[in-house]
Amino acid sequence: MPDTIKVKLKIKRFDPAEAGGKTWWQEYEVDVHPDSTVLDSLIEVREQEDGTLAMRCACRASICGSCGMKVNGGAKLVCKTRVIDVAPNGEQLIIEPMGNQHVVKDLVVSLDAFFAQINRVEPFLQPSFVPEAEYTATNDSMENLLTSMNCIMCGICVSDCTVLEVDSNFIGPAALAKAWRFTEDPRDSKRDERLKALNDEDGGIWDCTRCMKCVDVCPKGVAPMDRIMELREAAIEAGNTNTHGYHHTESFYKSVKKNGRLDETRLAIDSAGMFNIPRMLDLVPIGLAAMRKGKLPPLMPHKAEDHKKVRELYERVEGESK
Amino acid sequence: MYEHDVLIIGGGLAGLRAAVEVTRAGVDVAVISKVHPVRSHSNAAQGGINAPLTDRGDDWESHAYDTIKGSDFLADQNAVEIMSSEAGEAVLELERMGVIFSRGEDGKLGTRAFGGQKIARTVFVGAITGSAMLHVLFEQSLKLGLNVYEEWFVTKLIIEDDVCRGVVAIDIKTGEMHTIKAKAVIMAAGGAGRVFEPSTNALICTGDGLSLAYQAGVPLMDMEMIQYHPTTLARTGILMSEAARGEGAYLLNADGERFMEKTAPDYMELASRDVVSRAEQTEIDEGRGIDGNVLLDLRHLGREYIEAKLGYLQEVSVEFLGIDMAEQPVPVQPGMHYIMGGIKTDVDGATAMPGLYAAGECANVSVHGANRLGANSLLDTIIFGRRSATHAIEYIKGIGSHSKDESVLASEKARLQGLLDRPKGERVATIRDDMARGMTKGIGVFRDQASMEGALENLKNVKSRLGGFSIENKGKVFNTDLMFGLELEFMVDCAEAVVAGALTRKESRGAHFRTDMTERDDENWLKHTLMYKDDEAENGVRVETSDVKITQWEPVKRVY
Amino acid sequence: MKYAFYPGCVARGGAPELYDSALAVMDRLGIEHVELTKAACTGAGVLQEKNLKMGDILNVRTFAMAEQMGLPIMVLCSTCQGVMSQANHRVKRDPEYLAEINTHLAPEGLEYKGTTSVKHLLWALIEDIGLDKLKETFTRELTGMNMAPFYGCYMVRPTDALEFKANPTRETSLEDLIEAVGGTVTENFTGKTACCGFPILFINQANSMKMVANHTGSAQDLGADAMVTPCPLCHLNLDGYQPKARRQVRGDKAELPVIHVPQLIGLAMGMSEKTLGLQKHIVSTKKLVRQAEALPVKV
Repeated sequence: MPDTIKVKLKIKRFDPAEAGGKTWWQEYEVDVHPDSTVLDSLIEVREQEDGTLAMRCACRASICGSCGMKVNGGAKLVCKTRVIDVAPNGEQLIIEPMGNQHVVKDLVVSLDAFFAQINRVEPFLQPSFVPEAEYTATNDSMENLLTSMNCIMCGICVSDCTVLEVDSNFIGPAALAKAWRFTEDPRDSKRDERLKALNDEDGGIWDCTRCMKCVDVCPKGVAPMDRIMELREAAIEAGNTNTHGYHHTESFYKSVKKNGRLDETRLAIDSAGMFNIPRMLDLVPIGLAAMRKGKLPPLMPHKAEDHKKVRELYERVEGESK
Repeated sequence: MYEHDVLIIGGGLAGLRAAVEVTRAGVDVAVISKVHPVRSHSNAAQGGINAPLTDRGDDWESHAYDTIKGSDFLADQNAVEIMSSEAGEAVLELERMGVIFSRGEDGKLGTRAFGGQKIARTVFVGAITGSAMLHVLFEQSLKLGLNVYEEWFVTKLIIEDDVCRGVVAIDIKTGEMHTIKAKAVIMAAGGAGRVFEPSTNALICTGDGLSLAYQAGVPLMDMEMIQYHPTTLARTGILMSEAARGEGAYLLNADGERFMEKTAPDYMELASRDVVSRAEQTEIDEGRGIDGNVLLDLRHLGREYIEAKLGYLQEVSVEFLGIDMAEQPVPVQPGMHYIMGGIKTDVDGATAMPGLYAAGECANVSVHGANRLGANSLLDTIIFGRRSATHAIEYIKGIGSHSKDESVLASEKARLQGLLDRPKGERVATIRDDMARGMTKGIGVFRDQASMEGALENLKNVKSRLGGFSIENKGKVFNTDLMFGLELEFMVDCAEAVVAGALTRKESRGAHFRTDMTERDDENWLKHTLMYKDDEAENGVRVETSDVKITQWEPVKRVY
Repeated sequence: MKYAFYPGCVARGGAPELYDSALAVMDRLGIEHVELTKAACTGAGVLQEKNLKMGDILNVRTFAMAEQMGLPIMVLCSTCQGVMSQANHRVKRDPEYLAEINTHLAPEGLEYKGTTSVKHLLWALIEDIGLDKLKETFTRELTGMNMAPFYGCYMVRPTDALEFKANPTRETSLEDLIEAVGGTVTENFTGKTACCGFPILFINQANSMKMVANHTGSAQDLGADAMVTPCPLCHLNLDGYQPKARRQVRGDKAELPVIHVPQLIGLAMGMSEKTLGLQKHIVSTKKLVRQAEALPVKV
């Protein structure tokens, strides 16, 4: 085992002070302990090579959330990213600031937008009464919330969110995971209001594209997308049926119940809303194009063989949950 | 120039708890922090917070005694009485704010065992109690619309006629400097772990608050009391919570023995931290360690239990060491963790300077004396954070309007420009490393005259180099390079006070263990040391002493 | 190798060219398959939004059917792969949950014991058959063809359910295939593991169009001759909605053909445009087909 390993870094620099702001790539090479993390290497750069490099870091133990940045294109918490894992053969590491956020300098991004998103979901307990001592609750109900409480607000999910890449109005994975915590907290009295707001809001729970990037990149196992899906299920159960998203999932569910398979034509119509003329008209060009190419899904949908069994299965399951 | 009634320096648990209290009273308040509040080091506290709950058959006097015994009788007993008697309600209040504490069968707050206490009264959230509490207090601050000067770095306190009237600070994002005037300032800027190397502390724990107060002439008390936590990871110093031992983990030496039997047959792994650290260091020094470590063994707890109650510890172990705690023991060693010493305050957080309060790790009331019990620091922050706020709210009623004097801003700007203009010299990091390694070497788990004098010599050398470091980054925006230079100066002040206290106290008590004076000397040394910055004094520090307040409990020999 | 074949709903509906080209390729390779005609839709993650458990039940039912036949499942769609893998992962780690699901399947005489594996055609070719064997069936090398790989979210995340650790080739499967057929992978194409926007097509069309425009546009800008994707849902969006998206977001024309995995393989095997259904695409593949046909054929 060698005493040190060589780490090669190519860092995206940005200096706003220069007129208009100057962006450039800068390469560095440092020698560090073989067990070092990417953060250790960056600190070595900052302390021994280039004091002008700006980045945020504090705890070095993946609890403060300061050191999110892109390593080879994907955001990571660099204090818990070991060099030997990302550069096993001494490959050069590409380091950039987190995405979807305004860059202040080098690897430092502004978290104003991030915290504005958090604020949008009223992220504090709203109980209906105040007890003498503590609220009683089961241990399971509290441990259930650990998933969301583990969030250290590092911004990594927001950095790599594919929806935020095209639409900054989306509340985003971190804020929605936090909102989930309050809908699941037995002490909070605003569950229905929260679900309705998240359901109705422009940029709310239905804007997530289910790409799982946030689940993949979250360094603390919060799995924001899974929380968003749970919010969707809860919102529907609470009676929020006024969205395209609801119609989409409801139509899908029913289609499979009826045919064992998905009826794409029906799905398109239902999701748009049968009486939503503009949206229906919107579907016409694609429908025509598909027809021309000989692949419009059959108006009488394909059914699975013996699809009655699927309906029976649904009825058994639905019957049980009543 | 900005103006507020109350200004709180630091956005961690003590700072935010104080802020919530002031806001609730309808008084104008702002928090200033060099990092976003949720990045404060409070989030690294893992194990739990002590809560003597009288309706569960516990009594606060039992907790008070455990605390005082743990402090090796250096704690001021009136202050401990206040902390312990208010603890239960303070923790219940946190739960009502929304903290997701674990529960017992009856749905009420659940507890785990913790060091130095026979009764299990430590209320917790997995192994992320500090983070869970900090995030809830942050949520409350959002609810109350708290004004935060986020990423502003305080360089100096404003003192007018010997009264604290605010701060001079840099807005890190722009590099612009401003004064923020206040009728009362609450210093809640945390500890000084980076004065040592390695340390469990974050890189931001550079003793800013301690130094700022010290420079203003306020004494720092019992600075020699440095806590080495028994279970930290080698090289990185990352913390493995006492909660592991609270949940039943063993400490083993290379022979597989639970060596705590030798020095603490009653409390075993849950003796006070200084006792455990010394026992470990002894095993290591006497050749029964493994590569400078002992082993923390959780295997018998089972995977499911570990993941439910100590999830974060498993994460750290797997991510940083590649060790699955359910399968293998974890190598740990004593590591610098906490400073019992701090800015001397009374039980209301008031310091020797009117207008300046202090709370949290940077303060010393004293409730922790010569050794702090685990899960008492989180308690300290919220009790004295709140009490400082309550007192400050009253205090400001008698304070007049702010002066227009900006002269201190001009002098600070000039000072900082001077640093930036220095010709190329030594790197700040090099000097800091030398200082920190020297401090750990000389003021370690075990110390003696020679080692402490060695630390002093090293520090003298470091001080002689302070005039020669240079700042490479000459820019304005996010100039962390400049900040590191300022932090180095803060750290040296803290180190100076630590060394002076260590050389003064001629006994062993709690965390200050001298191998050349192994006994406690209540007759001569049941006293606090007080360090004053004094350029006329030897090594720049004037040391005085003051008596320890005894109320109910006569000091006895500490046995675990 | 024999598989329980699960073509999925879209291959039989809006993307019939996928089904046809897949069958042609499997025939050429001699891959035996039995179609799971009684299996239900996987739910595509959409059904799961309304009721996660129902989705798991439907998929476990499919696993049980294949298990009864003693065959591994082969799919043609990234989304089927991902949804099935996630369901499989969940029930394998939670015996109580699996037992509960089995009680619902019992009346049909089905019981899942947890042994079924699910593989996309692309993975089956790389892992079970091997790229070398595959190459033996090629009659042309698609030299000079610059292909942008678009995996589709469900094929690359989450990595634990998709068993990436045990099968590291899955991370670069598309790129490996492109190289195997003699083509070049488009360099610096950051959209390769991004989202195509299909899931929000009916919910937030503006965002969906932006994604389609960004990915097809950037690939084209980087010199891609075509995009290849293992997911017919991605294909529906990237091909079907490309004209609208490009016009709306970039103000340019939809010129990047998007083809399915078996179509790429089929071109290397020397199959015709008609066999592969390449004339059924919304964005014309004519240029690509001509490019392929101009390449020398091995005898």
